[in-house]
Amino acid sequence: MSSVRVPTPLRPYAEGLKTVEVDGATVGAALQDLALRYPQLRAHLFDEGGSLRSFVHVFLGEQDVRELSGEATPVRKDDQLLIVPSIAGGSGSPAPTRRVDHTALRVNQAMIIALLGAAYVANAAVLIPLVGFMMLLGSALGRPGFAAVYSALRGLRLFRPEVYDDNPEPHRFAQTLGGIVLAASSAAFLAGLPSIAWFLAWVVIALAGLNLFGGYCLGCAVYYWLNRWGVPGFTQTPPPGVTPGRRPAGKV
Amino acid sequence: MTLLISEDLVRDLRRHGETAYPEEGAGLILGSADGETRLAAQLRPLANRSPDGARRRRYEIDPRDLMRVEDEAEQGGLEVVGIYHSHPDHPAAPSETDREWALPWYVYVITSVQGGRAVESTGWRLADNRARFEPVLIRTDP
Repeated sequence: MSSVRVPTPLRPYAEGLKTVEVDGATVGAALQDLALRYPQLRAHLFDEGGSLRSFVHVFLGEQDVRELSGEATPVRKDDQLLIVPSIAGGSGSPAPTRRVDHTALRVNQAMIIALLGAAYVANAAVLIPLVGFMMLLGSALGRPGFAAVYSALRGLRLFRPEVYDDNPEPHRFAQTLGGIVLAASSAAFLAGLPSIAWFLAWVVIALAGLNLFGGYCLGCAVYYWLNRWGVPGFTQTPPPGVTPGRRPAGKV
Repeated sequence: MTLLISEDLVRDLRRHGETAYPEEGAGLILGSADGETRLAAQLRPLANRSPDGARRRRYEIDPRDLMRVEDEAEQGGLEVVGIYHSHPDHPAAPSETDREWALPWYVYVITSVQGGRAVESTGWRLADNRARFEPVLIRTDP
């Protein structure tokens, strides 16, 4: 039998023991035996998939078994294994930033401005709920509402993708806000309040324009402010060094 | 759970967060445990071993640093009772990352550092089922 030294924070789950005798010819087998003897330890040693949790380091003498053969490292009789947690955490989301094509977002903003502008010029208010619907549908599907237009235009090679390390969630949130404002605008039309309806449509045009020409996404900034205030569901923080709402500096 | 800690130690751990800003600063809290109470006696500020570029949103303490500090603590009749770290420009609340990497029993002190100034420190412990953090009362002596 070999032994395992249990770290202080896990001892309450092993009847307070500092050292436990275990069976097993490998590190993995020894830890499984430990979890069998003290089932409450299992959740802290292994994840839901049965793999050793990232923070669980096992030392055989002075050596971390990750530098040997990991869980397959042989264990001899009288060896002592030490479980040493790696202490880690932080404010950042476990999901790193992802690649976001800002050309797709800009084509989306241009479509929103063009269609709402056309609606105003032609006094065709019916376009407002249509644009709002496309924006909300896009958010529900996790993409820009007019992504199909971008895909078609890409075939013509009119634009080059501009890909940044960024979070897609704030852009989706901004699009959702725009869609909601257009839904409110449509409701105002139905209620016989055309000046309020057009005012709301122009708010969306102005903010899409600010984003398209000024590179500032107000809806994204709102998302990051809500994150800073700890509002549930707003899990992403701005990419390092980026002012909330501004386009990230570094292209991929 | 309650953490009893001197005002001086709270000031020191907050200052560590300010010094490390805009990166996260972290260290260990040494002391003793008595049932549901953790009594802090000393701090051990440690290097944030997260890779370059990640330290603004992550901290990591090398397991070998933990082993070394545990040995030192044991010689002085103390033990590691908790971990402190800072959240630069972020609330003093545990994140999903904090929960995934957390250990039970330890008390976690999180300090929000806004624009280089420590504004709030809160205490937490991981629930037995790992599903959430529970608040820990931080009591300082007058």
